[in-house]
Amino acid sequence: MSAMTNRDVLLSLKDVEISFDNGGRKKFKAVQGATFDIYKGETFALVGESGSGKTTIGRAIMRINELSNGEILFEGKRISGKLSKQEDMEVIRNIQMIFQDPAASLNERATIEYCISEGLYNFHLYQNEQDRLVKVDRALEEVGLLPEHKSRYPHEFSGGQRQRVGIARALIMEPKLVVADEPISALDVSIRAQVLNLMNKLKNEKGLTYLFIAHDLSVVRFIADRIAVIHLGRIVEIAETEELFAYPLHPYTISLLSAVPMPDPVIEKQREPIVYSETTEEKTGPDYEMREIRPGHFVYCNPEQAMEYQKAAESIKEG
Amino acid sequence: MKDKIIISAKDIEVQFRVRDRFLTAIRNVSLDLYEGETFAIVGESGSGKSVFTKTFTGMLESNGKITNGSIMYHGQDLTKLKKEKDWAGIRGVKIATVFQDPMTSLNPIRTIGFQITEVIEKHQKLSKSEAKAQAISIMERVGIPNAADRFDNYPFQYSGGMRQRIVIAIALACHPEILICDEPTTALDVTIQAQIIKLIKDLQKELGFTTIYITHDLGVVANVADRVGVMYGGQIIEYGTVNEIFYDPQHPYTWALLSALPQLGVKGEDLYYITGTPPSLYNKIEGDAFAPRNPQALKIDFAKEPPFFKVSDTHYAKTWLLDPRAPKVEKPAAIQNLHEKILKMTAKGGAFHVGND
Amino acid sequence: MERISEDNLFEFATFDEKESEHIAAPRYSYWKSVWRTFFKSKVTVFLSVFVIVLVAFALIQPLQSGYSPTVAPNINNADMKYLPPSAEHIFGTDNIGNEVWDVVWAGARNSIIVSFVSTAIIMVVGILVGAIWGFSKKMDKWMIEVYNVVANVPYLLLAMVLSYVLGAGLGTLIFVMTCIDWIYVAYFIRTQVMIIRDREYNMASKCLGTKTFTMIVKNILPYLVSVIVTYISREIPGLISYEVFLSYLGLGLGTNYASLGRTISQYKSFMTGYPHLFWIPVLVLAAIAISLYVVGQKLADATDPRTHR
Repeated sequence: MSAMTNRDVLLSLKDVEISFDNGGRKKFKAVQGATFDIYKGETFALVGESGSGKTTIGRAIMRINELSNGEILFEGKRISGKLSKQEDMEVIRNIQMIFQDPAASLNERATIEYCISEGLYNFHLYQNEQDRLVKVDRALEEVGLLPEHKSRYPHEFSGGQRQRVGIARALIMEPKLVVADEPISALDVSIRAQVLNLMNKLKNEKGLTYLFIAHDLSVVRFIADRIAVIHLGRIVEIAETEELFAYPLHPYTISLLSAVPMPDPVIEKQREPIVYSETTEEKTGPDYEMREIRPGHFVYCNPEQAMEYQKAAESIKEG
Repeated sequence: MKDKIIISAKDIEVQFRVRDRFLTAIRNVSLDLYEGETFAIVGESGSGKSVFTKTFTGMLESNGKITNGSIMYHGQDLTKLKKEKDWAGIRGVKIATVFQDPMTSLNPIRTIGFQITEVIEKHQKLSKSEAKAQAISIMERVGIPNAADRFDNYPFQYSGGMRQRIVIAIALACHPEILICDEPTTALDVTIQAQIIKLIKDLQKELGFTTIYITHDLGVVANVADRVGVMYGGQIIEYGTVNEIFYDPQHPYTWALLSALPQLGVKGEDLYYITGTPPSLYNKIEGDAFAPRNPQALKIDFAKEPPFFKVSDTHYAKTWLLDPRAPKVEKPAAIQNLHEKILKMTAKGGAFHVGND
Repeated sequence: MERISEDNLFEFATFDEKESEHIAAPRYSYWKSVWRTFFKSKVTVFLSVFVIVLVAFALIQPLQSGYSPTVAPNINNADMKYLPPSAEHIFGTDNIGNEVWDVVWAGARNSIIVSFVSTAIIMVVGILVGAIWGFSKKMDKWMIEVYNVVANVPYLLLAMVLSYVLGAGLGTLIFVMTCIDWIYVAYFIRTQVMIIRDREYNMASKCLGTKTFTMIVKNILPYLVSVIVTYISREIPGLISYEVFLSYLGLGLGTNYASLGRTISQYKSFMTGYPHLFWIPVLVLAAIAISLYVVGQKLADATDPRTHR
């Protein structure tokens, strides 16, 4: 909803390309031509499978990966490439990340108190020691943990608790944008719900904007306002959540959708996965670009395919 | 049940010794497996689901021990097997396992072809060329394109999904009676997961083996299982046919697991969720292990371990809610009329509708 | 929790969401676990006491005996020469009438001082340089060249040149022993840092704006405690033996310093006639070096969290 009424662009990617040196041989393009805007207050989901480049994009926004082409703007200012120290620190405060594997992304030799205080220390976001501890306690409470956890070490926690520590230490910085890189895929199904609810709650309370990276459409249907589907480094479809689920157009999106397991034995046993393979259907070429098939619904295709997609959308509408 | 029992575990207890303390990972679990069925074991990490099935192949870590119970398989008690050579004719031959991470099951410095033929040659008297021919046919069977060309490739030249297909090929090379799939798709992408599950189901239809499928994802269970056992705190707390577990679950934990699935989430509303963490198995668990996380737990849940209550001939649940004295507790709204809800989601116009009809 | 009686068994219990967040497991502390693991073995405890007593004795005894290699009060007293070990002369006396007991401990003291000080210098410099080296890709390019040069300097030749130029003394010897070894430590630490530098938790720290120096101290070094202790446990006894070796060759401490190496070198000619003169310093050397090594290894094991069971 918020995305509809409040259309200030917070982050925007323009023709972003990221390539890696493949052992000195040919450069491997992990992401090509990625262009999208994230509006203030929305949850924007980037959905794709391993090797799709979704994490690479997330890390480029965090400025861990460098761009080989294009640019990234935050509140209209370029944040890709070289920045002054001052700008650098400002971007760090404004953009925070939640990592996929809470076990790997917390320092095992540091107490929870240090883990959560790390950002506070770096920016000296506290008046005195007591103020810092108050802030840490409040951050713990916000994510449903207890003050007594401060002196514990990360490995003493369960996966869900650890991920909540990861959330707490990112949010204590009071960022504007949070890049959540598959924040629940390393967790047990039973505790995913708690983390998702928490992320939603904190977003509403603090007016956050999320870039939510996921590999699975079932999760993003619940949490995202808009969704971009990415396949082999190319964004192939962007639309608002309801729109995308009502009119899935790109064959890869349809394949992803068919693979979501439904918790119903009678129905699930009849569902057949739809296999999408790039090799059988040519999906890129010089006349390919993101084309608007329906209002706000873009698909990566050539003019003929655009016609077909339009027809397909029509037929879905008529039911 | 008219079906024949192929393996029968009775009152299994497993303990681990960790830092001078004993951890009871499995607490008196019994399970009869029927020939040709797929039995899914569902539970979160630490519930003991993997440990339990490892006792079927004698693969417990060195600090773990079966401290009680029996596993009867063809008239032999598997818990009595101690030496490696006793297991030779069973592990990997009659009872094979497919693990979560295919890379750990494959030798990175041997070709795929070598690793498959090695298993075939070990258990069947075949010439080199016959073994190779058989290996290629198995590779084709598990869906490796250009199997003959890829015979001499190394594991790293295969994608994750293809590697898991190879692991399945190796597991099935000796025509096992029981295939244990220990989270075989957890490390894979969703679209690949769907394909691997379909492959296992197709192979089962063709070869007739019995499958134990371990997972933490109930969505997957709906697809693969004939029967389901839900594990919590080292025990099976509810089991029944797959339809019974999904449409008529009885244990609050089963409710919670089902209701927490994001597929059932409604945007703008909170998902049903479980608080806290599974019980520490170092401590003696009193009563119902799930009680501390169950908002509607009864007082008796903290005091006395519930017995199995019979729901139907095939459906049992270990919860005091089934005691006649217990108050009536409705299952969470998210999973009431589950079938109708999902029907709507997958029908034309629903969020998960796919298909070109 | 409320009381449970027979008749309210089937009532709802009160539920506190926070209750399930408590961690039941006992608190874990890295260093506590290290010492618990270390002191679990009786042999280790015994050896540690042995090492501490041995080292302390070697450091204190010479102060009290006042032995100096430049004076030999009994050189003209034939009755005091070549005495076998006895209650009065614990290690016997040598060819110039000195108490071997005093000679050996004075030598051991210098060996221990040289090796401890050298090890400290090597480790501090090596860890500092190595940690920065491992983080900086720019520095790596030229440090590798520095490493190639320094690591290939012929050790003995350098020791000879330096002891001629600077004169054979405690300072010179420490300089000789440290001026090359630090680069091995630096290289070793650099490799370790590179292995863990790109782990996700370091990436997370970077995203929180943590500076490189803080990351080295808080994120990297705590993970290297075990490998550093292992290194030290090899370095200390190694340098003791090395001091002995250099002094034996006449390249170590000058003649006005007591030295185990020179003592052994001087006594070796009495190996057949008065074997105790040769064997006693050798055995004392072995006892110090081996027990230090074993205790160091045990400590290194204990600092590895994988052993904390």
